[in-house]
Amino acid sequence: MNYLNNIKYTFTKYGFLIEELVSRDFKVKYKRSILGVLWSLLYPLLTMTVMAIVFSNVFKFSTPGVNYLVYLMTGLVIFNYFSEASNLAMSSVVANFSLINKVYIPKYIFPLTKCLFVGINFLLTLIPLYIIILVTGTGINVYHLLLPYAFICLFLFTVGIGFILAAISVFLRDMFYIYGVLITLWTYLTPIMYDIKMLNPTFAFILKFNPLYQFINFSRTIILYNSCPTIGQFAGCAVSSLVFLLAGIIIFKKNQDKFIYYV
Amino acid sequence: MEKETMIEVNNISMRFNLGIEKGFSLKQGFVDLFKKDKKNKPKNNEFWALKNVDFKIKKGEVIGFIGSNGAGKSTLLKIVAGVMKPTKGNIKAYGNICPMIELGAGFDPQLTARENIYLNGAVMGYSKELINSKFQEIVDFSELKDFLDVPVQNFSSGMIARLAFSIATIVEPEILIVDEILSVGDIAFQAKSEAKMMSMITGGTTVLYVSHSLESIRKLCDRVVWIEHGEVQKIGGKEICDDYLKYMEVK
Repeated sequence: MNYLNNIKYTFTKYGFLIEELVSRDFKVKYKRSILGVLWSLLYPLLTMTVMAIVFSNVFKFSTPGVNYLVYLMTGLVIFNYFSEASNLAMSSVVANFSLINKVYIPKYIFPLTKCLFVGINFLLTLIPLYIIILVTGTGINVYHLLLPYAFICLFLFTVGIGFILAAISVFLRDMFYIYGVLITLWTYLTPIMYDIKMLNPTFAFILKFNPLYQFINFSRTIILYNSCPTIGQFAGCAVSSLVFLLAGIIIFKKNQDKFIYYV
Repeated sequence: MEKETMIEVNNISMRFNLGIEKGFSLKQGFVDLFKKDKKNKPKNNEFWALKNVDFKIKKGEVIGFIGSNGAGKSTLLKIVAGVMKPTKGNIKAYGNICPMIELGAGFDPQLTARENIYLNGAVMGYSKELINSKFQEIVDFSELKDFLDVPVQNFSSGMIARLAFSIATIVEPEILIVDEILSVGDIAFQAKSEAKMMSMITGGTTVLYVSHSLESIRKLCDRVVWIEHGEVQKIGGKEICDDYLKYMEVK
């Protein structure tokens, strides 16, 4: 109870700062680009087109029974959110050192606002996703109302990873490069452009422990297979997000007072 | 009648580890691994920036901090502002603190002055309503009315300082921390900002003031704390300025 009050107090006190930091990121991102916010819609559409051409024509990937474009787009939208938000969250503390060194601001605000900012962008990328769903005739069903569950789990998971990365990168600047490699590896270990059924069973079993697979699989069950996710899928999303969120909070909290010495 | 205590600094010490460079890098670790003369590494590279500093500040007092460069004045103020936690001891502050340690730290160069007023205000902990109601006052004081929609990266450093000063001083905080900022802007604005500071000081705000200008310390402060090598040399009235001056001359 006390803990909840604490969270409420933080949000009333720092809510305006979070709002301002998110809107700052938004303004800076689209300043001086002619198409501006339209890029949030165009970018995923264009990457999807490129990947669709490469993987369905060159490598002859296909997903029997469901539309490959929608399959690809669902994975891309979710993975892109994670990749962009975790990257920005990682550098957020280091980038704001000049501020941290002068004014007292709770440090977790920086990774958190980055995840929120990319979250708004994520909501915009749902527009092209739904355009593809409608254009390809995949159709919408009542289970789509369950999708926000997967998105919230994705957000909490990303915040957790963002906390861990932000804390590590303060002490180890090499993390920026290491993570660049890791995220490339992660792209291929997540069934974005291929179907997990194409792999040999042992490898496919291991891949299921990838939290991003849980969120993507949950969404695909609804969008492509028109069915309600199983209890196991619900639990898979919840467990993977909460475990990483908790780990992130513990690691960040334990180290945040030391950040200032590494300015 | 005894005035109430505003800030209690209880025997604080602050240790820095000079061995820490800007982050540990793998390359450096790898190089160290192959260094043959490990004995060359200084074992004791600790540095105590502050040692057993202990004092109390009462409500409405204006305290000046003097001491040579690197004596620990800024570290002390950062600890009071809550930016750093002391290695030993603790600090209690009874009131909201407005740190004016470096003006304009919260500006984003790509945003306009108008947008930065809100952003920097949020960083200083103001509410949206407060900034809305004080917006005109900030603009008037900074005299930047014609440049409101210009990105701050196109401002001169004087203009940035004026804007930052205007935002920082718009509230009347209970505790004000000032680290050498009175020389802001051109001569006219300097006079104006000094008058504003004076009105804040006489308005009952508790002020912690760091400066190398003994003249302004003498003019503004009730009490003076002289810090040297992380230790408090003397606490007392303005006469400490003379002792400090003698010390510096001998040096």
